[in-house]
Amino acid sequence: MILQMKGIEKSFIHKTRGNIQVLKGISLEVDSGEVVSIIGPSGSGKSTLLRCATFLETIDAGEIRYKDEAAVTTNAHGKAEYVKPAQLRRFKQNFGLVFQQFNLFPHYSVIKNIMDAPVHVQKRPKEQAQKEAMELLRKMDLASHADAYPCQLSGGQQQRVAIARALAMHPDILFFDEPTSALDPELTGEVLKVIRQLAEEHMTMVVVTHEMPFARAVSNRVIFMDGGVIVEQGDPEMVFGAPQQERTKQFLRNYQK
Amino acid sequence: MSMAWSTMLLKMGEGMLHTCAIFALTVLFSLPLGIIVMLLRRSRFKPVQWITKIYIAIMRGTPLMLQLLAWYFGPYYLFGASIRGYRFTAIIIGFTMNYAAYFAEIYRGGIEAIPKGQYEASHVLGYSKAQTFFKIILPQLIKTILPSITNEVITLVKDTSLAFALAYNEMFSIAKQIAAKETSFTPFIVAAVFYFVANYVVAFVMERIEKAFDYYK
Amino acid sequence: MKKILCLLLALTMVFALCACGGKGESPTADYVFLKEELGVETYAIGFRLGDEALAKQVSDAIKALVVDGTFDKIASKPEYADIKDFLCLKAEDFAGETLPERGSGDSSFTFKQGYDQDYPPYAYMLDDGTYGGFDIEVCKAVCEYLGWGYEGVPFAWDFKDQELNAKSCDCIWSGMTKEGREDKYTWGITYSNNTQGILVAADSDIETLDDLAGKVVGVQIGTSAAEMLEGDRKALADSFGELKTYETYNVAFNDLKAGAIDAIAIDMTTGAYLVSSAS
Repeated sequence: MILQMKGIEKSFIHKTRGNIQVLKGISLEVDSGEVVSIIGPSGSGKSTLLRCATFLETIDAGEIRYKDEAAVTTNAHGKAEYVKPAQLRRFKQNFGLVFQQFNLFPHYSVIKNIMDAPVHVQKRPKEQAQKEAMELLRKMDLASHADAYPCQLSGGQQQRVAIARALAMHPDILFFDEPTSALDPELTGEVLKVIRQLAEEHMTMVVVTHEMPFARAVSNRVIFMDGGVIVEQGDPEMVFGAPQQERTKQFLRNYQK
Repeated sequence: MSMAWSTMLLKMGEGMLHTCAIFALTVLFSLPLGIIVMLLRRSRFKPVQWITKIYIAIMRGTPLMLQLLAWYFGPYYLFGASIRGYRFTAIIIGFTMNYAAYFAEIYRGGIEAIPKGQYEASHVLGYSKAQTFFKIILPQLIKTILPSITNEVITLVKDTSLAFALAYNEMFSIAKQIAAKETSFTPFIVAAVFYFVANYVVAFVMERIEKAFDYYK
Repeated sequence: MKKILCLLLALTMVFALCACGGKGESPTADYVFLKEELGVETYAIGFRLGDEALAKQVSDAIKALVVDGTFDKIASKPEYADIKDFLCLKAEDFAGETLPERGSGDSSFTFKQGYDQDYPPYAYMLDDGTYGGFDIEVCKAVCEYLGWGYEGVPFAWDFKDQELNAKSCDCIWSGMTKEGREDKYTWGITYSNNTQGILVAADSDIETLDDLAGKVVGVQIGTSAAEMLEGDRKALADSFGELKTYETYNVAFNDLKAGAIDAIAIDMTTGAYLVSSAS
């Protein structure tokens, strides 16, 4: 088991509406080689779930384990307890995250974006990191852009660099937070193609997406979230083809329109 | 004119050196001090935040000349301390404290303009806090704040003349003395040319630095 | 068209040259003081309140310098010709007094003279770029006579009291007027008796103080003339069209030359210096 999340609860304090619970005790398990898609209306908590898994948000209660090792546990008072920061940094080596807005470092060239963290965080030899970065760029069909700066690339190209940057860290699991939502429609294809290719290589991935045909074609499992809970999950053919829950049906109906 | 041109230029050159000393030391001390003030200003510990806010408000809300007088005479009036030989130190403290407040606000504006995603990407990639600041945030910060820094630095060149309040012989004080003696405007014209040239040089250097950051948007 | 332009240009140049020549020929008659005075002014040395002993020591040393002729030797230098007439110390006045001996002071003491370095000819920058002036020369002579060390402390005139109180200097000694400040300092010897007047262009139609009604009068900020116009002579100042305050008399005098103002309220010593050095 690569990732285990159990009973995750998360609330935000809203200025006018007070405490809002975004995740209401969600549990999620991801096996090695699995591709899981999370779908659902905006505000359903799917992005927050990814942000909790990647420690960008701290959870209120619940448990998070990577490769059967606990990063967060719940204490006797029902409060989430994180491991020490130094240990938490070690946990980050398990995963990569691809953002909706790419978040490339604008002052670094494409190649430096990819190899900087391997060299300065993982302390790998520079030559090796550079060689690997070039291979990744070739795989992303961007080898000729190694020395370009992010601002010189299209959105689709930037997102592919961001995927390469995440892969360069050798993660066991890769999270995608709506990777094509910020792209022009004609550019989504090139990014989805890369993710599909990774799926074929049995990369473990969790993808939050609005691309229903893509989710149906690529995933081993689809999760439908709404209102901070998992409403329904299972085989993509089952969830898309024969949804059991009324809310799922309604959501998919709206989507097809 | 009874004073020789060479003497006048020599004296004004001396004043120019004093002006440059104020300028250089102020820039040297206030740019890093501004970072500390900015960090205190953004502190999560409220009292520290308030004190820093009040400090910035005073520095920005009162004339620099008054501040210089306060720094110079303050030690005597508050503690009865001897202020002999303290003139230049008081000037540097006064300028540095004042400009650090302005720089701190510029830094803060710059920091707040950096997208949250930059921090998040660094966080997920496992960069330490120091690495995130020095490798990712700072280079971008410098690029965004350079134009504002240029403005402040140019203002500083002209503000150095306020040191006359503490009778420090910078360029402008010397010009005033020679003008009083010679009943002539010539020293002021020389001073004006100096300030103009100095600011031209500052603007030129800053433009060069800005250009060096032009390779990305 | 071109010819006319050339002609005009040539004419302008000729006029300009004439104008320059005209000023050079009759220098001193260009600016005069009104016969009516604004007030009498004496110069003395200001010490911190309570510093009677120091004030007496310095004053006695000056008297000794008057008696032995050093004072007069300084005063007779050509650069002090304008102020010599106002100096009011005479050897015969001190005939019966016991004055200190040369070298009788504490040689470990350094006397700090506070002065305004923008105030010629009392304290100012000399042709060679060093500081000098009448008050500085006398003070140095005093220190030499008593065997003291000397240190000059130039300050901004506006903050002279703060400098004195904060002990960065031992006295204020650069043509400081005593009138109106009697209680603020312990006063040393009065060495000059000067008078405040109104300086106007010789060809101006202003002849009495009453003629100043509605006119623009310039004055330097913080000077005795300015204080007089804000105090004792406020009624007169109120009759002016405008009382223009300047950072230095130098700028005011340039405005007077340019016709931007009608008169300057100024002490006669400084006024005479301005007029003579402008020619």
